[in-house]
Amino acid sequence: MSYRTHALKALTAIGALVLMAGCGSGSSGSPAGGSSGSASGPVHGGNLIFAAVQDAQSMNATTVFDNNSIWILEQIFQPLYTVTNSGKGEMPWLATGYTVSANKKTYTFTLRPGVKFSNGKPMTSADVKFSLDQNRKATKGWAYLDSAIKSVQDPSPETVVVNLKYPWAPILADLSLFANGIVPDNYGGETEAAFYNHPIGTGPFMWDYWHKGQALKLVRNPYYWQQGKPYLSSVTWTDVPNDNTRELQLEGNQAQIDQTPAWSTVASLKSNPKVDMHLFNSTQTNYLAFNELRKPFQDVHVRRAISLAINRSALVKAVLFGNGKPANSLFPPQVPYYDPSAPGYQYDLAAAKAQMAQSSVPHGFATTLLIPAGNSDYLTIGTILQAELKPLGIKISIQQLDPNTANADFQSLKYDMSLTLWTMDIPDPDELATFAVDPTSGARSFFTAYDNPLVVKDTHLAERTFNTANRQQLYNVVQTDAAKDAFMAFLYYSPYPYATTSNVHGFYVTPLGNMHMEDVWLSK
Amino acid sequence: MGRMSFVGRRLLQLVPVAVGVTIVVFFMIHLIPGDPALTILGIHATPRSVAELRGEWGLNRPLISQYWLFLDRLGHGNLGKSLIYGTPAATLIRQRLPATLWLIVYAAVIAIVISVPLAMIAATRKDGIRDHVVRAVPLLGLGMPTFWVGYLLILAFGLDLRWFPVGGYGSGFLGHLHYMFLPALTVAIALAPVVIRSLRASMLSVLGADYITTARSKGVPGMRLFVRHVLRNAVIPAITVLGINIGFLIGGTVIIENVFAIPGIGQLMITSIFQRDFPVVQGVTLVFAVMVVLVNLLADMTYAALDPRVSFDR
Repeated sequence: MSYRTHALKALTAIGALVLMAGCGSGSSGSPAGGSSGSASGPVHGGNLIFAAVQDAQSMNATTVFDNNSIWILEQIFQPLYTVTNSGKGEMPWLATGYTVSANKKTYTFTLRPGVKFSNGKPMTSADVKFSLDQNRKATKGWAYLDSAIKSVQDPSPETVVVNLKYPWAPILADLSLFANGIVPDNYGGETEAAFYNHPIGTGPFMWDYWHKGQALKLVRNPYYWQQGKPYLSSVTWTDVPNDNTRELQLEGNQAQIDQTPAWSTVASLKSNPKVDMHLFNSTQTNYLAFNELRKPFQDVHVRRAISLAINRSALVKAVLFGNGKPANSLFPPQVPYYDPSAPGYQYDLAAAKAQMAQSSVPHGFATTLLIPAGNSDYLTIGTILQAELKPLGIKISIQQLDPNTANADFQSLKYDMSLTLWTMDIPDPDELATFAVDPTSGARSFFTAYDNPLVVKDTHLAERTFNTANRQQLYNVVQTDAAKDAFMAFLYYSPYPYATTSNVHGFYVTPLGNMHMEDVWLSK
Repeated sequence: MGRMSFVGRRLLQLVPVAVGVTIVVFFMIHLIPGDPALTILGIHATPRSVAELRGEWGLNRPLISQYWLFLDRLGHGNLGKSLIYGTPAATLIRQRLPATLWLIVYAAVIAIVISVPLAMIAATRKDGIRDHVVRAVPLLGLGMPTFWVGYLLILAFGLDLRWFPVGGYGSGFLGHLHYMFLPALTVAIALAPVVIRSLRASMLSVLGADYITTARSKGVPGMRLFVRHVLRNAVIPAITVLGINIGFLIGGTVIIENVFAIPGIGQLMITSIFQRDFPVVQGVTLVFAVMVVLVNLLADMTYAALDPRVSFDR
C-alpha cells in the first residue's frame, strides 16, 4: 500500500472519528458468561496481558486486603482446599482429602503427592504448618478467619493435623482462603519482607518482575503439579486505570483481558466480533447503608419506608444497563444458604408512605448521602434516590468526598446514608453474616451500628451447626430478620464484567473473584 | 556576571522554592481528611489495627515533628518509604520519571517541528489564505480537550491504521519513540497553536526590520534570509512562550498519562493522593517543582545564547 493511500486513509479515519467514538464497535454477537472453546483444543505458549483497573499493593497474602493483589498472588500460592467454580463449596487442592474426629475438633489432611514449589523443592507438611501458623499470627491481616484453630501439627511429611478450639462448620472454607496458601517453611531462609519481594509458591505461575505502578509479570512454573498446565508462558498484569484506555487496548490486541469494562460499554462489547464479553456470577451486592447512630435512622419505620420507596429494577437498568438483578436478601444468590424467598423490601410506594406515617418523622426530613467523588454509578443512584424519596418528604443532599475521605468517614460512621458494596472471600456465609450483623465485628455491622441480638445469636449458632438443613434454617432466619429490620436497603446483585479478546479461552472467574489462570490459553 | 554564576544563582533560588513547596504540600496532604492505614487495612480495619499501623509509620506524632523528620531525611537525600508499597519513594519516582520526561521532551520537539514551518508559511503570506488557515486550524487543537484528542488519535492511528500502539511506554529507545508518538503528538497539538501564533507575530515584526530590508537588497537568498536572519531573531520570544507552557505541561501530564496508560510520575501522583501515600506525594511534588524551575532556567539560558544582547547580570 502506497504512502498516499495511507495518508488518504488517515484523513478519512480522522473524518470518521467522531462517529466512531460515538457508535462503539462491531456488529455480531458472541456468547457471554463463560469461556469460548475451540475445536483444536488448548495450545501452549503466549504472553497474556491483563489490563487491570489498578496496580497490586503487596504480595504478602497474610496481610493484604486489596483484591487486585489477591487475584494475582493466588496464581503463586495455593491453599489445601479451594473454592469450586460455583462458589458454593470447596474442593481438594494441595490436599487430597481429610478425616475429622468424632468431636469435630481434629482435622487430619493428606497432602497431594508430587507437589513442588517453583524452585523445585517438594512441598511437605512442615511448609503447611509454617504457612498456617504465619497467617494465624497476622493480627493486622487475615488471622481472624483462622481464629478457631488451636494448633497445627505435622506428624509426617504427608500429613497435617489442624486442631480446633471448638467445632467450627466453616473450617474448610476458611482454609480455602488465599491467606492460607502454602509458602516454603521459614520463607526458605529469608525474612518475610525479602520473601514477598520475589515470592515462591506451588501455583501455576512464578515470579518474574514487578515494576510498581506499571506492570507485574508471572511466568510459567515448570514444576506445577497439574500435568500440562499452565498453558500460557506468562501473564502480565498492567496498570490501566482508565476504562476507555483498557477497552481500546483490548480492541488493539495490546491487552487480552479488560478487567471491569464500564457498564455503558457492555452492549457494544457484546456485539464486537473480536471480543468476548463475560458477565460472571459474583457475590457482589450493592447496598444503601443507614447509620443507626444518627437520627432518624434508629427508627425502623424510616428505614423500611426508604427501602420500600426504591425501585430496584430502575436502578439495575440505569446503573448496570440491565446486567444485574434486584436484591432480596443480605446474601447474594451465589452464597451457600442464600434464601431466594427472603423478604427484602421491594418497590411499593403506598407501603413506603404508610411506614413513614408510623415513623418519628411522618412529614419527612433532610439528610445527606455520602458517596465517593468520581464514582458515576453512585452519583446516578444518588440522583435516582433523591427523586424516589421526595414523595416521602425526604430531601437528600449528595455529599461527594474524595474516595479515601469518603471511606474514612463511612468506616468512622460519620455519615447519614451511604452507598456500599460487599463481596465474599470464602465459600461460606459466615464471614459475610458476621461482618454484616455483628456490631462487635471489625466491620461494625457493615458500618451501620445495627444491633439485633437475636440475629447475632443465630449467626454465631450457625458457625457451629454442621447439619446442612439446620444451618439453612438458621441462615433463613438471619436473612428474614435482617430484611425486616431493613438495617440496609439491599439494592442489587451485580455480575463481574470482564472482556477478553476472542482468542482467549478457558478464562473463568468464580463468584468470589478467583481466577484459575492455569486453565487459560490463547489460540493463534 | 558569567554564565556559570548565573546558573549557580538560579539553582540557589531553587532551594527556597523547594522548601516552600514541601511546606505547602506536606501540610495540605496531611490536613485533608483520609488515612493511608484505611487504604491498607480496607474494610477489615479496626480502630486498634489502624492505630498500630499509624504508630509504625510515625503518623501519630505531631505534624511539626513529622515535617522536621521529613526535612531531615530530605537533607540526606531520602524521601521516605511509600506507605502502600513499602518501597523507597525515590525508587518509585526514579522508575517513573523517564516516561514523563520522554513525554515532555518528545512533545516539545514535535511542537517545534509543527510550529516553525507553519509559522513561516503564515508570516510570509500575511493575511493570505494560507495565513488564515495556519492561524485558524491549529486553534482547533487548542480548543479540544487533550484527553479527547488523545482518544481520536488512538482510534485513527492505533486501532484503524494500526501504525502506533494504543498505549504504554514501550522498551528501548526505538520502542519509546514508537509508543510515545501519539501521546506526544496529543500534547504537541495543544502546545503548537500558542507557539505558532507567537512565532508568526515575531516573524512579522522581524520581517519589517531595516536589517532584513538591507539583507534583501544585498540579494541574500530567501531561505537563507529566513533561517539566518528572520528565524533566529523571531524564535526568542517563542522560546519564552514554549518554556512557560512546558511548565504548565509538567503539571498536566497526568491526563495524557492516564489516557495512554503511560507509567509516569503524573499517574503516580494521582494514585498516591487517593491512597494518601504521603511520602510519594511529597516526593513527586518536589520533583515537579524542580522540573518547572529547571525548564524556566533552560529557557532563559537558551534566550541568552541566541541573543547576545541578553545579559546574565539580572
